[in-house]
Amino acid sequence: MSFRTSTATQQRQSLQDLQATQERMALNNARITSGNRIGSPGEDPTGAAAILDFGNSIDANTQYLKQIDSASAYLTTAENAVNGAVESVMRLGELAVSGSSASVPEVNAILQNLLALANTQSQGKYIFSGTKTNTQPFGDPLAPYTYQGNREDINLGVATGTLVSTNLTGDQVFLGGKGLAPGASPSDLFTAVQNLATGLLNGNNATVQTATTGLDAALANLNQMLAELGGRQAGLQSLQTSLGNFNASLQALQTDQQATDYPTAIMEYTNDQTIQSATLSVMAKVNKVNLFDYLA
Amino acid sequence: MPGLNASLYLGLTGLQAQQAALNVVGHNIANVNTPGYTRQRADLSASQSQVEGQIYFGTGVTLNSVQGIRDRFLDLQIYRETAKQTGADERYAAVSAVSSSLGDTGSTGMAAQVQAFFQGFQDLSTNPENAALRTSLLGKAQAMITGLQTKYRLLDDQRGNADQSIGSLVGEVNSLTGQIAQLNQRIATEITPGANNDARDQRKSLTDRLAALVGVNVVESPKGEYQITLDSGNAVLVTGTNAFDLVAKRSGDEGYLQLTSNMAGTVVDVTSAIKEGTLGAKLDLRDNILVGFQAQLDQLAAGIASGVNSVHKTTNLITHEISNYFFQSAAEANGSNGLPISIAATPALQSGPGWSTLYKGMVNRLSVSSDILADPSLITAGAGATVGDNTRALAIAQLGTAAGTVEMGGTATASFTSAVAALVTDLGTQAQTYKAQSSAQQNLVSALQSQRDSISGVNLDEEASNMMTLQRGYQASARFISVINQLTDQLVNQFGK
Repeated sequence: MSFRTSTATQQRQSLQDLQATQERMALNNARITSGNRIGSPGEDPTGAAAILDFGNSIDANTQYLKQIDSASAYLTTAENAVNGAVESVMRLGELAVSGSSASVPEVNAILQNLLALANTQSQGKYIFSGTKTNTQPFGDPLAPYTYQGNREDINLGVATGTLVSTNLTGDQVFLGGKGLAPGASPSDLFTAVQNLATGLLNGNNATVQTATTGLDAALANLNQMLAELGGRQAGLQSLQTSLGNFNASLQALQTDQQATDYPTAIMEYTNDQTIQSATLSVMAKVNKVNLFDYLA
Repeated sequence: MPGLNASLYLGLTGLQAQQAALNVVGHNIANVNTPGYTRQRADLSASQSQVEGQIYFGTGVTLNSVQGIRDRFLDLQIYRETAKQTGADERYAAVSAVSSSLGDTGSTGMAAQVQAFFQGFQDLSTNPENAALRTSLLGKAQAMITGLQTKYRLLDDQRGNADQSIGSLVGEVNSLTGQIAQLNQRIATEITPGANNDARDQRKSLTDRLAALVGVNVVESPKGEYQITLDSGNAVLVTGTNAFDLVAKRSGDEGYLQLTSNMAGTVVDVTSAIKEGTLGAKLDLRDNILVGFQAQLDQLAAGIASGVNSVHKTTNLITHEISNYFFQSAAEANGSNGLPISIAATPALQSGPGWSTLYKGMVNRLSVSSDILADPSLITAGAGATVGDNTRALAIAQLGTAAGTVEMGGTATASFTSAVAALVTDLGTQAQTYKAQSSAQQNLVSALQSQRDSISGVNLDEEASNMMTLQRGYQASARFISVINQLTDQLVNQFGK
């Protein structure tokens, strides 16, 4: 016995198939024109969440890269200042060897230069005064060589859970240690320079000798500071490289999830076009054929 | 042996029966496109024979009845499945309508805005002295709040739309149940059982429409009456010749329509008793699905507010007075009536039944403190008084990715970004589920309909061939009468000439 097929069933079935095809075509059309594989989360919830997750990580890393740039900027400024100080101290060493009182004006000029270096500003902030960035670290009219800043480190987040300090404090660099008064440490640079000027002016060899020892100790301290700054910079650079690589692979993963697979989408679209035109022509034929046509 | 008159009469029954059957064919053809129409068949049988001696002579044909070809149980099954299909359709349409906005994975999406806010603090940490960064941070905070509130309002609008349509759907349901009850009466009082085909078809098509609106269980009584109850079984819509109207009234704190059924003086609240159909889906969307998304947004807002405020606040060392919250609620005090200071501040409610409503409306209350808006320098980047201190900005920035900041499902485990991702996944999964459900139901309903059509539907080719057969039968009967007529003529006029 054959299965009865009502006239309405045939039409409904063809119509339903046609609509399903058109729905798929619309979806693929949107994928092709937008370039996005997922138009709304319902098409692939896991994929949508993954895109979001990758996007979050990429954004966070990009932000960390920006932070690294700012940290590097501060560290480079500090490095330049300390470098300047190192050159000045070496010149002072030469002047001490010459032992001439004629060098006194130059020694005094270098002292002023060193003070200026200690008061270096970057983006309007004093970089050697801890978190008291609006206070000049040295150069108080009453006590020009007393440190006016504080001992705080300024940290920046450069990776999840990783902080890097972007500053050195003025007492650490120029007075030979944190929280020390002028002259308290053998490596106090300003005291050594002042001693040198006095010794040269008075022709006092013993004082010049003390000053030279102080200058050597201060130079060692400055070089240690340079090494510290260089070490931080190197750490930041390797972090920058690895974050950059990490971002590149994350972006590749995100694109995998997000971007339309054009060959597949276009294949499906073409396939559906064929199905659509076949369905339409079948519909047209089926609706035409009827027994009534053949009855006289 | 029957006489010539009896033969004439026999021929006449043939003519009449063929013509009646042709009439049925005509009715079928006329209704080929009528929704819910059941094809009919003329039920013919040979008339009682006439006995003469030992011989039985046939006396022609009788039309017993005109029968509809139907399968009652298939109808009942279709009602049930139709309701599930429209329910899934409706839920899918609503969830996918909000999902592209709530689930935006791009740079204007919720996740990006929340992250931008925390990055604002990170930017501030690089340069806490900079006033421009504070202003930019405020801009990002405002953008995040506006973004969250827009999404919340979108959900509110959808709930409002659902509520609006519930009102008109209830009217439609009541009108349908009333008509079905009337048809029940016409069917119960039919002269021959099963004879009133067209009333049954009409009732079937009305019940189809009813089932699309509201999930129902339909039972047919021995007398042929439909008894219709809600799919949850909580209320009766139609029994015998009585229809019981659903009544929609606004009540509750949100002023949404609540549905009751009044059956013989017993009033039952059926707001949550309708599971399927358009009406059931609208109620579910309004009262459960969309509310669930709103609750997740509220929890996110509460987590952000409490996390940021607990770091940003200033405690007076002498009076222990707390001031300078970053986020301030419209109610002046933080704490029990306003934004939470910390999630741990309400530990008793954390695992209790109140957790889902604890932070209700938090998104709408979220705003940046007006003092800070008026004076961005009040944003505290550091813990101490020195201008270069960035410790607080750094701590708040780290909150952005820290775990355990958003309370979800009663426990504070998620981070902000994973809370947003969870919402997106939730939306996507629901949309996918309803879509799968809807297309599975559609296939099922259409298979059942094809089965029903295969039994009850009109096939024009079949009708054409029946028509041809009946036409031949009619012609033959007419020819037979003409022959008997000639015989009579022979007898009356030609005999004995």
